[in-house]
Amino acid sequence: MADLTPVSTWTSDDARHFARRAGFGLSPEAAAQLASQAPAAAIDAWVDGTGLDQTLFTDVLGTRADPVAEPARTASATAGSVSLPVEPGPHPYRVEVADAWRNNFSRSQACLAFRMQYAPYAFAERMALFWHNLFATGWHKVNNAALMLQQHATLRAHGLDRFDDLLVLVSKDPAMAIWLDSVQNNAAGTSVPNENYAREVMELYSLGADNGYSQTDITQLARALSGWSFTVSSAQVSTDPTDPSNKVVGSGTFRVYDGTANPDPYVWNLQQRATLPSMHGSGTITFLDRTFDLRAPPSGMAPGEDALRSIATSRGPQCATFLAKRLLVHFVTARFSSQDLSDVAAMIQSSQFNLRAVMKTLLKSRFFFDPASRFALVEGPVSWSVRAARALGYDLATADAQSPKGFPAWALVTASFDQAGMKLLDPNGPNGWSEDDAWLNSGTVRYRTRIAAAVALAEQSSTGTPSVAYRLFPGDVARWFPTPPASAQAVLDRLVALLQPAPFPAALGAAWLQSLWPSSFDWNASDAQNNARQLACLVLCSPAGQLY
Amino acid sequence: MILTRRRFLKSVGATGVLAAAGCKSMSSGGGDGPGTPPIAIPMKPILVVVDIDGGNDWLNMMPPLSGANRAAYESKRPTLAIATDHASPLPNGAGLNADFTGMDELDALGRVAWIPGIGMNNPNLSHFVSIDLWGQGAAQPGGTGWLGRFADRAFDTRGDVLRGLTVTSDRPLMLRGSTRSFVSITSASGFVYPSLLRSGRVGAPYSPQLLEDGFAAAVTSTTSDAPSAPDYAAAAISGKLFLDAQNGFGTDGNLPARTPSVLYPGDADYPIKRTGGGNLSANLSNQFKLIAQMLAAGLPTEVFFTRLGGWDTHSNQTADHPNLMRALGGSISAFYEDLASVQTAEGNAQDRVMILAWSEFGRRVAENKGGTDHGTAGLSFCVGRAVKGGIYGDYPDLASLDKNGNLKFTVDFRSLYATVLDRWLGQAPSATDAMLGAAYQRLGFL
Repeated sequence: MADLTPVSTWTSDDARHFARRAGFGLSPEAAAQLASQAPAAAIDAWVDGTGLDQTLFTDVLGTRADPVAEPARTASATAGSVSLPVEPGPHPYRVEVADAWRNNFSRSQACLAFRMQYAPYAFAERMALFWHNLFATGWHKVNNAALMLQQHATLRAHGLDRFDDLLVLVSKDPAMAIWLDSVQNNAAGTSVPNENYAREVMELYSLGADNGYSQTDITQLARALSGWSFTVSSAQVSTDPTDPSNKVVGSGTFRVYDGTANPDPYVWNLQQRATLPSMHGSGTITFLDRTFDLRAPPSGMAPGEDALRSIATSRGPQCATFLAKRLLVHFVTARFSSQDLSDVAAMIQSSQFNLRAVMKTLLKSRFFFDPASRFALVEGPVSWSVRAARALGYDLATADAQSPKGFPAWALVTASFDQAGMKLLDPNGPNGWSEDDAWLNSGTVRYRTRIAAAVALAEQSSTGTPSVAYRLFPGDVARWFPTPPASAQAVLDRLVALLQPAPFPAALGAAWLQSLWPSSFDWNASDAQNNARQLACLVLCSPAGQLY
Repeated sequence: MILTRRRFLKSVGATGVLAAAGCKSMSSGGGDGPGTPPIAIPMKPILVVVDIDGGNDWLNMMPPLSGANRAAYESKRPTLAIATDHASPLPNGAGLNADFTGMDELDALGRVAWIPGIGMNNPNLSHFVSIDLWGQGAAQPGGTGWLGRFADRAFDTRGDVLRGLTVTSDRPLMLRGSTRSFVSITSASGFVYPSLLRSGRVGAPYSPQLLEDGFAAAVTSTTSDAPSAPDYAAAAISGKLFLDAQNGFGTDGNLPARTPSVLYPGDADYPIKRTGGGNLSANLSNQFKLIAQMLAAGLPTEVFFTRLGGWDTHSNQTADHPNLMRALGGSISAFYEDLASVQTAEGNAQDRVMILAWSEFGRRVAENKGGTDHGTAGLSFCVGRAVKGGIYGDYPDLASLDKNGNLKFTVDFRSLYATVLDRWLGQAPSATDAMLGAAYQRLGFL
């Protein structure tokens, strides 16, 4: 059984395990500091994000120009083009409505990776990443980076709400509405509704395949959610300053297309429509054994919303089990017993699907801290990369003080996310990515070595005219070692403490050290720091380095 | 089971277009004729699997053109039905959609075995469940795939690392064995750990052996302090597979460059464009080009896996489906043609390769507003010089649907697998039956 009672004490080692799973790792010093607090209060604060100073992070995200990461566009590049100011940086334009026209996918990936590396409230980013895999939505169909990032912001802001509230928010999200064809779901009159979203919302987002619903339930829910779409105001339209005819949806407002007046000038695809198309079905439906009147939703709900919300009540045990499975595989272990699963599901139900309470209970539990759960999961490539960058890169203040600033140019690394098996913001299908050992194959391992080299070996790149060279991940080796190591073994010990791989055979570490320092060890020798970088890379690339 | 068919060579515009683009004629050997393969099964056959991902609306790819099925089709598809003059007739009362680029010509040569109505008992309308069922291909689905079990049986446990290969970045269940895993290689260059690691660009020259030893030691470790974490071995095996594979993969992980002998969809000069103009998707073309390059480079691969997604046409079908068919058909026909110029140590690649295309399900007979929802029985087809072209199995009856309005299957999908395992991959019938968990009827196309 899964012992979900909270631990009353914890060690520094426990705190490291916690931070790897519930964030993107902590240095040994920070983990010791965390472990000096009582676990209950410390974990509450971690989950809630209280007591964090986000000033610099917000400042850097919002106001700083970074000409290295974002070279200026010049007026001379294209005849007739206008001169654009240096893009404010490093990343805010990618989330701002005004810049949605760029639809810059790799920069959007980089924006998220940057957030994950430096956000003080790491848990919110970790939860958003979890939900991104569960409510997997792909840029290749949505084809709008701003809407993708808007969805991610929703997941970040509401990832600890009640699950049914989150499910409703996701169902009303513009990117999702495009992704699974809600914008095309027309059940007016005798039209046959488009059942894409209705099927996947149960199969992939709340219950699991064939778990408590029938094909009839799918068509009934499709009817309930017909016409769920969005409209676009003038302020939500983004125009390309170099080509004013190129207008892009920067944001949208959820509406049910029911034939009434359009409060905005545009419908979802930027056609000007004074009246919303009539797409919502009428009458009553029977869904999961209950009857709903589509024209008379409860106060404050959109037509059909009560049916959607009923999934978590009409099929509470199935929904809780579905969530429990996903949470276990992401946060605890993939090797749980059926009893573990039903224990966690029961906790979710008794928490009334309040995700904040669920996460606190789970992450404080003896089950979570059980030694058998340590290093019991293969880490996904995105969080693996972020955790390595947090461990080895500069802190934000130091990175921000560099000249050239050389903020981690994640955009040059995120392309490897795809080949490492997790194309951030663009999963292949609505089922997202399989986790744990499914992350591993010969190809994904190869691209992990590519990412590890970029992070650990101080890979250089250059950009701009004239060319400015900068390191993808600035950081100097001396900072990895608060006290200069006195032996090769001390170098390895410190790197293991920073990178926190699973335990590996002592003989393997000895072989590495023998090769890097075949004779004597001298930290002040010219190659010692480069050897340390290579050792860090070996740790990251090793089998033990894939586990967390 | 093969139906005798009399086929009239259709002279269509596409032939002229291909010729104008400098493509060679499809006819590469004498004596080609429907149902009479020009060659016997090759000694060293190669299988290229194409996953038509998302659920292909094959009713519009091979629409009924006459009879009761045509009437049912038109009544259930008032806006999406393919016009009869937009398809070239087949002997079974159906036809090939004119947007299915190049397939009509391959069919006329007798190089295509079509299996309309392929499916299973208790079909599942979920993409993911159905993909898993197709991947497992067993009477009693378990945790391995039918090609993975083939690899378990046919490939050396430690060697043969490149014999099964996917050019996708994932690890499909279809390829998963209990002891063997296919390698995933998505590019002809750089399949080696990065030069920064190999060259010691950062510091002193650095031995790649170090990294390799890490994986090798983990795989073979018998020391008492071997980590107990269960995924440790999985990580080690993946890494070892990569490191072994790169040693057989060209020089420094790079294959010799190869220029395809024909144009592929997505190439700027490829004559067929998207319905609205613009180049077709190069996605599948690039996978085929990579495979041709691998074969030209002498890789010993016996089974390849490819995928073309985007077939989940719940909406926008009139725009999307023709473009998908153009990309799929165009890529397959270009690949078939291109392979003729690839010589391998064991013979001409066109003789050695058979393409097997499948999709997790067909789509609902009745359209929704602008698209089609998930259905059941589908269309599979095999293309190759040793294939006896024709139609295998009955076209489903569109007037006799299940309670959800979906087709009833006419050929068990494991019959296709059994045929391929026996006749193409050279397994003894008893071994095939063991791999599939039951004896399925063989089809006559090989």
